[in-house]
Amino acid sequence: MSAQPAQENVVTRSLTQIGACGLFLLTILAAVPRSFRHGRETVRQLWFVGAMSLTIIMVCGLFVGMVLGLQLYYVLSIFGGTAASGTVVAIAIYRELGPVVTALLFAGRAGTSITAEIGLMRATDQIAAMEMMAVDPIAYVVAPRFLAGVIAMPLLCCVFCALGIFGGHLVGVNWLGIDNGTFWSNMTATVDVWKDVVNGVLYKSLAFGAVVSLIAVFQGYTTAPTSEGVAYATTRTVVASSIAILAIDFVLTAFLM
Amino acid sequence: MSQRPSYAVGTGLFIVLGFAALAYLATQTTSVANIHQGSSYTVDAHFANIGQLKERAPVKIAGVRVGQVQSIVLDPASEVADVKLSIDQRYSKIPEDSVATIFTSGLLGDQYIGIQYGSSKNVVAAGGTLALTKPAQQLEEMLGKFFGAGGSADNLGGSYTVKARFTNVGALSAGAPVKMAGVAIGSVQSVKADPVKLDAYVVLAIDKKFSQIPDDSAAAVFTSGLIGTQYVAIQPGGSPEPLKNGDELVLTQSALQLEDLIGKFLVSGSPGDKKAAADDTKPAGKH
Repeated sequence: MSAQPAQENVVTRSLTQIGACGLFLLTILAAVPRSFRHGRETVRQLWFVGAMSLTIIMVCGLFVGMVLGLQLYYVLSIFGGTAASGTVVAIAIYRELGPVVTALLFAGRAGTSITAEIGLMRATDQIAAMEMMAVDPIAYVVAPRFLAGVIAMPLLCCVFCALGIFGGHLVGVNWLGIDNGTFWSNMTATVDVWKDVVNGVLYKSLAFGAVVSLIAVFQGYTTAPTSEGVAYATTRTVVASSIAILAIDFVLTAFLM
Repeated sequence: MSQRPSYAVGTGLFIVLGFAALAYLATQTTSVANIHQGSSYTVDAHFANIGQLKERAPVKIAGVRVGQVQSIVLDPASEVADVKLSIDQRYSKIPEDSVATIFTSGLLGDQYIGIQYGSSKNVVAAGGTLALTKPAQQLEEMLGKFFGAGGSADNLGGSYTVKARFTNVGALSAGAPVKMAGVAIGSVQSVKADPVKLDAYVVLAIDKKFSQIPDDSAAAVFTSGLIGTQYVAIQPGGSPEPLKNGDELVLTQSALQLEDLIGKFLVSGSPGDKKAAADDTKPAGKH
């Protein structure tokens, strides 16, 4: 249905997609209690979207922290304020970079594979077969992947942030010679556990995890049952997730500040 | 059926790692890290002005953190801020005549309380008060002292006027001081544009006491400091004849526009210069 040629205009099509996506979310939420019977499936998906994404998240977190440390050192040294770089690294990572970059990576690494997997199930009639056998595909296929995404995202984001701080420390203190004590004491003096860690890292990444997982399973579940349709759906997962992440980030920042 | 899938262990590790990272972020990199400290005792200090001091700001002795600001309350009766300092029990030998001062770390840094030891044999007890305090230095007051020194001279002894023409007076306005050797000797009476000669026509009112200014003296428009106001500086010449009422100063130097200066600086500054400038500013951040 979604691979139809553009007969309606873009606005109508987008609205239809958003509406269908919202209804799909309700269907998933209704199926979540039933999906607990397939708890092992949820754990398997958690392994797949979470644990298998750790490498890319850790490497990227390290480099984001390192480049922040480097840039901040050069900018702050103009004002003689290099001691503040620990604070700025931590706040930038907790509030924006951690959740947003993790969510973008997550959409690329896990979201696409969820879409492709469900889409191929749809294309090869596995989902129809499940319905035939009276196995609810929403409870058995969709809900575990959605739950796994929602659980994995905050955990990945925490790992990303920790590695980012480590990277900033590595560049700032070990290479550029900012004083170790000032780096940490300025950070601990300014960063607030509720405003920065809970609001920034946890709330944002929970919201992003839900949005990316929802878009991924929705695009996979509603894909046109052809190889071309699966390719389309995978692309749309990345595009829609990225736009949704950045838009929701703005709204959340405005509300949580 | 009871066989455990191979991914279960990995998933468990992932979850543990995620929560460990969260615990690390929450406890080691936030203000929570400063909360857990050994037993402490509380000391009062009254400040006339606390500036931007905040709760949980550090309390330092010789630059070392020994505690934090517990609470800041305004005493409405005496118009002073009552600051409660929570100091680590290990540092219980603070003389009662020690001075508590509000400092700023670096130029842009946060404020903290520094305690400088006095010489008294008696130590300040828990719940006691540090009587000697120095309030926060307000930047405005400091700048005011720095730039406002001199001010415009009083005209009690009467004044005489001289004229001067400038091609550019910058932001000079009526009432600006006229200074000689950095000391105010009068004020600018009026600044007008000359419709014929197309330059600025400035009338300076100079105190009668300074009646021996040579008539070939030069007038220049200067700026006090980087962000100060502009004033007219008189640079004495060597003529034996003094200036008289209504005379005109022929030698003048116009105001330098900040934009011109910065433009010159940016164009001529090489990367090496900038590096040196950055190195110069570095110690300021290490306070």
